[in-house]
Amino acid sequence: MLLLCGTRKGLFLLHGDDDRAAWELEGPLLTGWSVYHAIRDRRDGSLQVAANNFVYGGTFQRSADEGKTWKRAEGLGLPEESGLKLEETWHVEPGRNDGEIWLGATPGILFRSTDGGESFEPVQSVLDHPTREKWEPGAGGMCCHSIQLDPSDPNRMYIAISAAGAFRTDDGAESWSLANKGVAADFFPEPDNFPEVGQCVHKLLLHPERPDRLWQQNHCGVYRSDDRGETWERLEGNGLPSGFGFPLALDPRDPDVAYVIPEVGAENRVTPDGRLGVYRTDDGGASWALASNGLPEPAWGAVMREGFTFDALEPSGVYFGTQSGSVFASTDAGASWTEIARQLPPVLSVEAAWS
Amino acid sequence: MVLVRLPSLLAAQAGGQGEFEVEAATVEHALRQLPVADLLFDESGELRRLVNVYVDGKDARELEGPNTPVADAREIRVIAAVAGG
Repeated sequence: MLLLCGTRKGLFLLHGDDDRAAWELEGPLLTGWSVYHAIRDRRDGSLQVAANNFVYGGTFQRSADEGKTWKRAEGLGLPEESGLKLEETWHVEPGRNDGEIWLGATPGILFRSTDGGESFEPVQSVLDHPTREKWEPGAGGMCCHSIQLDPSDPNRMYIAISAAGAFRTDDGAESWSLANKGVAADFFPEPDNFPEVGQCVHKLLLHPERPDRLWQQNHCGVYRSDDRGETWERLEGNGLPSGFGFPLALDPRDPDVAYVIPEVGAENRVTPDGRLGVYRTDDGGASWALASNGLPEPAWGAVMREGFTFDALEPSGVYFGTQSGSVFASTDAGASWTEIARQLPPVLSVEAAWS
Repeated sequence: MVLVRLPSLLAAQAGGQGEFEVEAATVEHALRQLPVADLLFDESGELRRLVNVYVDGKDARELEGPNTPVADAREIRVIAAVAGG
């Protein structure tokens, strides 16, 4: 088991034993880079990162030798006629076809590589989306942070951009329909707080075994859709202390299970009541229960949108990293947590890789 | 030939090489030959705002910027601006 922990100051690797009980820390790799997201591509074992530096800009980098050496994608940028410049890279998602990799970026950009990350081209249908003029950047910029491929349909995928909303393509990224019906944008006054576009999605995930079901943690609530994003149901107010938060995790075996880590609200982005609390639902979001055994208290923590993940082992593991530099793991569905790393730089992303 | 010296982060991105001897007429011509040129210039060809370049100890901004002649220069040093946290 490998956990890839992207931090504000490089990439750390946590190597776990078969029981996921003992962990060994390696790193930092890519020193000097803020690693917004890091994955191991199951197709070839390579490590791939969205790495950013405030001087040298946004990059995609790939390592075929366990992080010893890295190669940047060439010419990553936006066409001059767009009037836009690449700001930062945010999310890496392996594609379906050989060599295909998707890359989310600011400002509201989806890139596609067909050569294993040697080079990327911006997806024109996102760049030219007819609603783009209504998009606004969130606090992290106008980041394309969620990219989800539907395993049941080779032409369907989803992206989410803050603050533009969620989008679905059914034709292989040729065009994108809006997937925001029922999702609030409470930062607009009534009656304009349910616009067709402009929602601030913080994280969107598709359930791999029931791909018509989507979950999103939004600036304005936690939501579930059972119809491919056509409509959304707001879920908090039934055990959650707040609808505000960033990360989201699922259980790949049970579409009714989800985990969130709420924060007080947009104006106070720390965990409520000084408690670093994971909240778990096992009934599709109808009710939520605190799952915090083993987590520190008091703790005014914060977990970034990419900082929460899960594996598909038996029993499935759940993992998250904090802005305070700790990484926590649970292999009993959140019933208990163990701190498996501490005093890292602020953790930006956690992803699990297993064989 | 002019010697181009890179800070450690860029040297790591250049395969561990921190010094390059290049034949160049201008600062931009020299920097474009480096394997990290994409990190120094953005997609529109502009030198990134927080990249500082010194030609024999003088800030290239106070000379002719990227067009500063370097045919007779000994050293170009790239330094990241003091910023960040």
